[in-house]
Amino acid sequence: MIAVLSHLTSGAVIASSNGPGWLLILGPAGGGGLYYALYQYYRNTKKSHSFETETRVSAQPITGHELKVNEVKGTRKTSIDGANQDKHRQRVQRVS
Amino acid sequence: MIAPPATTVINTQNQRLDDGVNRCPRCGATDIQLKPSVGMLVCLFCRHEWAEARLDESIATSDVSGLTGTIIGSGAGDIVAGTDTVVTMKCGGCGAEVVVNTAERMGARCHWCRHVLTVNEQIPNGAVPDAVLPFSVSHDAAVAKINEFAGKRRMFADRGFIRDFKPENVVGVYMPYMVVDANASADVAGFGEVKTRQYTRGTGDNKYTVYDADVYSVDRHVDFTVDDLTIEASAERAQMDAKVNTNNVINTILPFDTENAVKWNGHYLTGFTSEKRDQGVAHTTPEMENQLLAIARAQVAASVAAYDRGVRWERERLQVHGTRWLAMYLPVWLYSHHEIKDGKSLVHYIAVNGRTGETMGSVPVSNARLLAAALTVGTVLEGIVIAILGAGR
Repeated sequence: MIAVLSHLTSGAVIASSNGPGWLLILGPAGGGGLYYALYQYYRNTKKSHSFETETRVSAQPITGHELKVNEVKGTRKTSIDGANQDKHRQRVQRVS
Repeated sequence: MIAPPATTVINTQNQRLDDGVNRCPRCGATDIQLKPSVGMLVCLFCRHEWAEARLDESIATSDVSGLTGTIIGSGAGDIVAGTDTVVTMKCGGCGAEVVVNTAERMGARCHWCRHVLTVNEQIPNGAVPDAVLPFSVSHDAAVAKINEFAGKRRMFADRGFIRDFKPENVVGVYMPYMVVDANASADVAGFGEVKTRQYTRGTGDNKYTVYDADVYSVDRHVDFTVDDLTIEASAERAQMDAKVNTNNVINTILPFDTENAVKWNGHYLTGFTSEKRDQGVAHTTPEMENQLLAIARAQVAASVAAYDRGVRWERERLQVHGTRWLAMYLPVWLYSHHEIKDGKSLVHYIAVNGRTGETMGSVPVSNARLLAAALTVGTVLEGIVIAILGAGR
């Protein structure tokens, strides 16, 4: 639940940094976060089998290439657009 | 995907057994059932205990890395449309004809001579799989698991659920799965960023952090094998949409120790219900490919950890060199609660893995109670914030 709360409140912190007034969002965010966390604890709608880690997989050493193609200067974004290195189930363009 | 070479079928039919009367090898009685505590069949007449051979021992399932083409167990073949789910067996004891609906059960007692008859022959209706993994978690243990799970979720549960809660009503069900070994290769390609500088811009209250980064084109290749990937082989169970069903909780209790599955004997199902397989290799191949790609992505993740601003994969490719498909019945204890709310019907399951005891479930919530808790906490938090702000002026 703490993770949910911090996630909900972090957006508010970025959205308004004009004095401590942004703290007012804590009430609705805390209530909403608690509702979501309790709902998930009871209903478990996001749960599924972690087949990526719970299946016996034997892999050969990974091979690959990398080539510097560009530079980014002065971006305020903390990560690459569309970062999906941890979203293993998000399918991308399938090539044959 | 590259078209796989020709399909090979391996015969997994238990040659010793026919449909109908299957007797205890010691005394000839047919009152036989599973004894979950030892995972053996037990004759209720002479107490003789025995087990069918593990499927692994009768067909070669090792060396997945050398797998090519498509190998399918004879119990995992395509379901031929129009094949009746109702099987009529001739009782070997008295000659009467006994009917079994294989959509729900795989045996019946002859109403004339009391012999127990079981369905053991693989016909293309999906009822008899290649192997069965017997229950090893007892009914009492399953009841305890469900009690524990629901007991932790009482305060905000729907009152109807609490009122009707009778964990002893849990039912042992053999659910149909395709268990797949695969030999595959995958390629992924995209872009990764490495931070080169972090600094601050602006002044006073308008200070903010900015970053410089190098952008790389990245690709990765992995050759891998997967042993016993387990995929739902019932169209109804494979549909996982939390808005209309709670099938995801049954999926969550995977995996099973499928390497211990044994050759089919209908007596393993005596006293349990079963759900018939209605999906073949063609139906489950897309899900297998999805899971292989996800596994490949998980495998390469560590190799791109140096890209501290992350990687955006944009393209992926899968080559399946070989697969081996076996249909199995896997044991699940299921407790269900039918909720009707706002005219909508939803069946909530609490499922217990019949081998490992892993438990997952969906307990219907009381929205009024949840809202009251959320409003209370929200109001208290807001009160604290207002007090802090007031004190600061």
